[in-house]
Amino acid sequence: MRRYHFVFLIGILFCLGACATKPTDPLALQQYEANNDPLEPLNRQIFAFNMAADEYVLTPIAKGYRFVMPEPLRQGVLNFFANLEQPVYFANATLQAEGKDMSAAFQRFMVNTFWGMFGLFDVASDMEIHKPDNDFGQTLAVWGWHSPGPFLVLPFLGPSNPRDAIGLGVDSFVSPLGYALDEKFWLVYAVTGVEMFAKYEDAMDFLHNMMKTSTDTYAMMRTMSQQNRQKKIDESLGIKDEKPSYDFDFPEDEDF
Amino acid sequence: MKKLLTFIISILISTTVYATVPAITFVNDLTDDIIQNVLESNKSQDEKLITFRTAFEKALDLKSIGQFVLGVYWRQASETDREAFLKAFIDYTTKTWADRFNMYNGQKIIFLGTRNAERNQLYVDSQIQNNPPVEVIWRLRQKNGDFRIIDIIVEGVSMAMSYRNEYSAFLQAHAGKVSALTKELEEKSASFQFSDTTQN
Repeated sequence: MRRYHFVFLIGILFCLGACATKPTDPLALQQYEANNDPLEPLNRQIFAFNMAADEYVLTPIAKGYRFVMPEPLRQGVLNFFANLEQPVYFANATLQAEGKDMSAAFQRFMVNTFWGMFGLFDVASDMEIHKPDNDFGQTLAVWGWHSPGPFLVLPFLGPSNPRDAIGLGVDSFVSPLGYALDEKFWLVYAVTGVEMFAKYEDAMDFLHNMMKTSTDTYAMMRTMSQQNRQKKIDESLGIKDEKPSYDFDFPEDEDF
Repeated sequence: MKKLLTFIISILISTTVYATVPAITFVNDLTDDIIQNVLESNKSQDEKLITFRTAFEKALDLKSIGQFVLGVYWRQASETDREAFLKAFIDYTTKTWADRFNMYNGQKIIFLGTRNAERNQLYVDSQIQNNPPVEVIWRLRQKNGDFRIIDIIVEGVSMAMSYRNEYSAFLQAHAGKVSALTKELEEKSASFQFSDTTQN
């Protein structure tokens, strides 16, 4: 069974420690509340840890991986793991009563497992079957858990919040990998490690671009992940075409 | 009676479509320009950046965006600080966005329509044809039949909001000094290196 839910539990336990002090200045307070990050000092520490892991461990390995594995092979690895996620998406789509995603996840798993050599080839995309990504965090939102709780940075896994972290843990139980490999824990750890690494490698260029361009990478990553996640949650709640909740507060009569 | 109603409705529909088309054309012209004259051209990196910058500065209301991203700090800043910040912000944003546009791999962009926002603003909805598709919303300000982009929202992430958040965190850590942020942006801009896109 995939055990990375264990990692986030440790993360949550750590969080019972440090808290940020609430600012008294009204404008600073407004910003503080918008950020929804009362655990900022601790989050920043975990973030610094993740960044160090990126610099000293993950990036060097990823460079080696890119050197020995040409792009099509790396894509095959990603396809393989994406295929194993389909039963998770299927289960969540069912719980969210999302018929289209249910059938897409089912078709993807069938098509890619049998015609795509156990998921190595994404035949389903050639057949224009869309890619669902229904996770248990969304399911919890659909069930009524609308406000996700404070922002959290998980060790290795990155930005999250209590609702989505619990979702991640639940999803790891549903994954077929654990059942297929049964009791061979070391193998489950190894395969999960490879999966997390492959996903990291896929996102690495984007992450490095953010690190290079931002003046405060933590703040940038926090707001981007919160906004992006909110959009996904809105979609699963059926809120469409929602206008951004901010106003451009510059003088109206100003010239271009 | 029914015919008349259909006629009125069809006129209403066609006029709204007509009124919103220029906004789509405006954004479409920008993306076409960037794709043809920057991303798919054989010019040198420096020439590409100049072309990109011209198109980007013409289409985006970077002054307003720069003012927005400073939030409350804009009001507190002196006139000289404001000007210096805007210059550094525009310079740096153009570079980073030119770099980001480089990740484009020739996918098609389709335009889905427009929605009215408050006052003289509107949204242009578009999608980059990928699997899953990438949603891009362009927030436009309209004036005398002319448009300027004031925000680009990619998969729910607003460019303006993200900068504003990031900069306010930076300014909070630097006693609210806009000049410190300006200096940081200038330094980053001077040492900026474009991503190597050939590696993938």
